[in-house]
Amino acid sequence: MNKLTYFPGCSAHSTSEEYDHTLKLVMRTLDVQMEEIPDWNCCGATSAHVMTENLALALPMRNLVLAERLENKTMAIACASCYSRMKSTKKHLDENPELARKINSTVIDEGEYKGTIDVKSMLQYCYEEIGLETIKSKVVKSLSGLKVACYYGCLLTRPKDVTHFDSPEYPMSMDRLMEALGAKAMDFDYKTECCGASFSISNTEVVESLSGKILEVAKESGAHLIVVACPLCQSNLDMRQPDIERHTGKKFDLPVMYFTQLMALAFGYPEVELKFPKHIVPVEAALKHIGEVIPEPEKVKRTKKAVEAESEVE
Amino acid sequence: MITLGLLEKNTFLEAVNKKSGANVLECYQCGKCVSTCPVSGYMDFPPREIMQMIKLGLKEEAYMANSMWFCLTCSACSGRCPREIDIPAVMEAIRHLAIEENYRSENKKVKDIRKFHDIFLDMVKRYGRNYELRMMAEFNIRTRNLFKDMHLAPKALLKGKIPIGHESTKRGQAIRKMYKLADKLEKEKK
Repeated sequence: MNKLTYFPGCSAHSTSEEYDHTLKLVMRTLDVQMEEIPDWNCCGATSAHVMTENLALALPMRNLVLAERLENKTMAIACASCYSRMKSTKKHLDENPELARKINSTVIDEGEYKGTIDVKSMLQYCYEEIGLETIKSKVVKSLSGLKVACYYGCLLTRPKDVTHFDSPEYPMSMDRLMEALGAKAMDFDYKTECCGASFSISNTEVVESLSGKILEVAKESGAHLIVVACPLCQSNLDMRQPDIERHTGKKFDLPVMYFTQLMALAFGYPEVELKFPKHIVPVEAALKHIGEVIPEPEKVKRTKKAVEAESEVE
Repeated sequence: MITLGLLEKNTFLEAVNKKSGANVLECYQCGKCVSTCPVSGYMDFPPREIMQMIKLGLKEEAYMANSMWFCLTCSACSGRCPREIDIPAVMEAIRHLAIEENYRSENKKVKDIRKFHDIFLDMVKRYGRNYELRMMAEFNIRTRNLFKDMHLAPKALLKGKIPIGHESTKRGQAIRKMYKLADKLEKEKK
């Protein structure tokens, strides 16, 4: 059994309980024992780094110090924002020991910072440390027939020198993960565009405009639903969707699900465990596509002349 | 207005470079950041122009722009910058410098954004964790816009999307002490 230090973040304990819950189910099946950091605090995303320098490092640092006490090799983080804050703080502190000492003085009661723990996002942990083969071997109900658009958002892969994971422009790890479950991942150009993130409350029009474009491109890709790995992306795309539809006059009807919900579904957990009622855009209709046969794209019949002309050029 | 004479030292450029760890002088004004940035359309001055302002030492103009408050730190620009400049870090540096030097924009959007961040940090100070429902409510009260997003609340509450209860850290004292000491470090800088 593998042991893993787990940082849920504030959202996983409130608005995105379905993420937290299905994540625990999935890890049980994958034989990973998750240890939640005792008495963790908010990482400060995104307000702390907007307003102050020292507090922006101190808040994640307390979590890092508490995480190191658990003595597991890796800490995995559910939320992309928390992940970004934690990882970039760690980079800053590790590259600058003097700064680390200074910031450590604000949380010295919790212990000394050693910089020993490896910080990963939950998606990265599943992809790199568990591996697609293991995930594939646990699938009891293939999701074949389901077309999905994998949305990564900005922070899971960017900036590259902080995350060191997948491509910052066109990542494929979640797509591969979905394919391992049997689903079909569609080509989706807006997979790393920003959803408006923290402007959800303070600058709603920006979120509606940015998320609206993402929904539009996802719809065009032919996907039945959007898969995400971040609570903020989920709430912007799901909770704001009816408003976006009303303001743009377009109809999307695109449920937004966490990758762990689909993993739990493929691992055979009953639907009641997946907490579908929490979604604003209902998911049931999209999931009815599971089991459908997706026709192979028809090969265009080419004239004899065209084939001959091509071979002549060669 | 160009404030930079030949013999004048561009202290603004120096301060931004020092804080951000970037070298703004390397920017050759190609504008790739502007076309990449998802919110450049909302900014008074898109990132390229902000970079040029720094080079010219136009401190006050940069401080009073809404640009750095709209930056989402999504790092799309820096990933594509041909000079590999960490533009979000530059935006952050201007923002921090403007706060340190007590510049306050009267732009309503900027005020709203700042208010939101204040409420957020205040909530974390009090509880150690963040709680969306309460944050929304407080934001509406403090911006005198009580009914904003109210149409979302019944559905979200009914669906259990937003819980009624609120979690906090057990060692609240540790959080408050951290705030106090971080604030002290912030003041020592000045």
